[in-house]
Amino acid sequence: MSATRRMLEITLGDMLWGRRAVFMAIAAGVPVLLAVVLRVAFASGSATVVVNGSRLNTETMFGTAITLLYLRFIVPALGVYYGTSMIADEVEDKTITYLFVRPMRRGAIVLGKYLAYLVCVLAAVLPSAALVFFIMVPFANMGPLVDTFVRDLEQLAVGIAAYGSLFVLAGVTFKRPLVGGLIFVFGWEPIASALPGYVGQLTVAHYLQTGTAGMLGLVLASAAAVLLAMRTIEHREYVLEQ
Amino acid sequence: MPIHDQGYRHYSGDRALHGRGWWVIARHGMVAPLRERRFLALLLFAWSPFAVHAVQLYLGATLVRSAFFVATEETFHTFLSQQRLFVFFITIYVGAGLIASDRQANALQVYLSKPITRHDYIGGKLLTLAMFLAAVTWIPAMLLLLLQILFSGSLDFVLDHPRLVPAITLAATLQVVLAAVTMLALSSLSRSRRFAAMLYAGLVIFAGLLDTVLEGVTRNTAWMLISPQNTLLFIIRAIFDGPPDNVALLGSAVAALVALLIACVLILERRVRAVDVVA
Amino acid sequence: MIIATERLSKWYGQVSGLNDVTVSVPEGITGLLGPNGAGKSTFMKLVTGQLRPSTGTVRVFGEPIWGNPAQYHKLGFCPEQDAFYDHMTGREWLEALAELHGMNADRAHAAATRALEAVDLLDAGDRKIGGYSKGMRQRVKLAQAIAHDPALLILDEPLSGMDPLMRRRTIRLIKEWARAGKTVVVSSHILHEIEAMTSNILLMHNGRIVAEGDVHQIRALIDEHPHRVWIRAQDPHAVARLLLGGDDVSSVKFAEEGVIVETAKPDAFYTRLTALAASGEAGAIEEVTSPDDNLQAVFSYLVKQ
Repeated sequence: MSATRRMLEITLGDMLWGRRAVFMAIAAGVPVLLAVVLRVAFASGSATVVVNGSRLNTETMFGTAITLLYLRFIVPALGVYYGTSMIADEVEDKTITYLFVRPMRRGAIVLGKYLAYLVCVLAAVLPSAALVFFIMVPFANMGPLVDTFVRDLEQLAVGIAAYGSLFVLAGVTFKRPLVGGLIFVFGWEPIASALPGYVGQLTVAHYLQTGTAGMLGLVLASAAAVLLAMRTIEHREYVLEQ
Repeated sequence: MPIHDQGYRHYSGDRALHGRGWWVIARHGMVAPLRERRFLALLLFAWSPFAVHAVQLYLGATLVRSAFFVATEETFHTFLSQQRLFVFFITIYVGAGLIASDRQANALQVYLSKPITRHDYIGGKLLTLAMFLAAVTWIPAMLLLLLQILFSGSLDFVLDHPRLVPAITLAATLQVVLAAVTMLALSSLSRSRRFAAMLYAGLVIFAGLLDTVLEGVTRNTAWMLISPQNTLLFIIRAIFDGPPDNVALLGSAVAALVALLIACVLILERRVRAVDVVA
Repeated sequence: MIIATERLSKWYGQVSGLNDVTVSVPEGITGLLGPNGAGKSTFMKLVTGQLRPSTGTVRVFGEPIWGNPAQYHKLGFCPEQDAFYDHMTGREWLEALAELHGMNADRAHAAATRALEAVDLLDAGDRKIGGYSKGMRQRVKLAQAIAHDPALLILDEPLSGMDPLMRRRTIRLIKEWARAGKTVVVSSHILHEIEAMTSNILLMHNGRIVAEGDVHQIRALIDEHPHRVWIRAQDPHAVARLLLGGDDVSSVKFAEEGVIVETAKPDAFYTRLTALAASGEAGAIEEVTSPDDNLQAVFSYLVKQ
């Protein structure tokens, strides 16, 4: 565990102060800006959204923002980018050698980096979503929505863990996992969700929206994916290109 | 002489004229992805909509006289729209590392120490990506048109729709140029292929999402200008269907794309240099 | 033996990287020598547990190295590739890697300082690695290998990119480490670098070990290949005439200011030559050298077999 902790500390520094922090900053900041714009537009009366004859207000828009913006784009995109780059970046940059010749299990590298990803992305996305909630929902109307808000945050947290673990496993297993990850998230998931039958169940998005049981299953699957990634890196050879 | 000189011999053959460097770079750039089975599979899959439309054209021309199967200008417009997904993935697969990988390997110094200019280098890289994108947009669209002519047994369709060929060509060119120039500019910003890929994905998908939300809320289609992808779709629709009611918006859309392309070119001018100064 | 391999082979698909290698590496400095593509880096990656053997075994300090991270406390590896975390300073990088060896922050800082000092990078330690010159990058790579004071150092082309002064200093450092009790395996394709460090070599070619041991002993064992001895004398013709009579001389050739003698029996020849010089029968003999009794000659001869 101490090796994992050390790896976590090193990766945290890299994620927070390196160039990769750009994506987290954009992912966290843009929804907040958007919320401000919408709130101002709604308050000034220049914005109206009518669905099935009923006018939507900002509270309802918050739910849409969580689904459309966070769960369909931000969370999967961050999972793809950071998840696949954890090990694949080190292999491509040939710096993985320095980690492999330290007296620690290779799996600790994966676990430490994954935990750093979790910490950073949760710390970026959850406060962002919370800010969006506080901006879009008038204070007087917050009370009844708190439970929904907490469930939304749980969905986001589980989604971050699930996508991250899936793409960590992809990053450890495949040579160029990013394109495959983007195809899965922006190609397969939207298409499969629209298809009938069991096809939709072959997506992470499906289980994020099927309640507590689905999310619990995702948490367990995430843990299994990380364990499998740790096992894979222990046994796999990485032949670096000369 | 019985014993031949085994030493180094200077090349004494013809040398190609200056200005051909871009073609050498493009040629070699195209060969590398074609060696990868994954990429070949992606290219093959990118032609699947062509196969579906080809069958549709066949049925429309032969067996079934249903409006769904009859070819119209909209058929080709729909086809090019459907190819957006493959344009996106191929742009990332081929384009993300075009300059980023060279920067990572410090290869820019090697390239630019040869008798080629920066414009040769950029042109060659651009052509590499553009050729693959044209292979999934313009080429299959024109082949569909050819199939329509062959199945119908006459040139009536083309003669009845005289602006179809220019429309396909212009729309495909815009798709290819926008994707290629943008990706190349983003690739030049970093030494990481992955970083460049995510920047492009963010620009295309995230901007599109924001536009959808803002347009839906404010009912103002001008928000599409923040999304290059949606702006392009608007322009392509105008190419196929004729100018929209809001001609000013069309003008703004064209101006927005031109501004993006100029910005990308400026980025390339600044970033593609033999020397990198590290503070 | 510090490193012991038994019928070690490694192939990459259809390409053989290492072919049936059985060697033992003792304490001290061992030079791993061979042309590019000989299998030196593959051997080092197998010894450092980067790669898993396709067949055979490799043991370091008596234990298998693949999947045995505890061994890395005793091992320091300086890889060939020029790969770093460019955004980190030299010191930050060394401290991070030292912490991965279980050191706390203070110990890691001290270890990083010592290592930077050893490679003459203390002044540049707080600059980003991305701004280092090639030689500085090579030195900081060396520093990370020694920071945790390992007992075994595996150095893959450690002098690459260094200027002549730094090369000499690094060679001196390597010898100091060996004198301090470390075992060092250093690879190079530049023969005189290895010669300057050690006479104990492992010579590789096409993935196989061609020869191992003391370079002089190897030379002596190559009986079929006559030794060449260059003699500078006042009267080269007299020397040649007197030497040609013995059965220990294969041939004599005249060269600039002297004669070159080929002998298959170097011991007998040198005894006769000494007697000749002492007697003065052929005039003054001013200089005697053997261009053959070096690594280049051994290498050229063995590799061309």
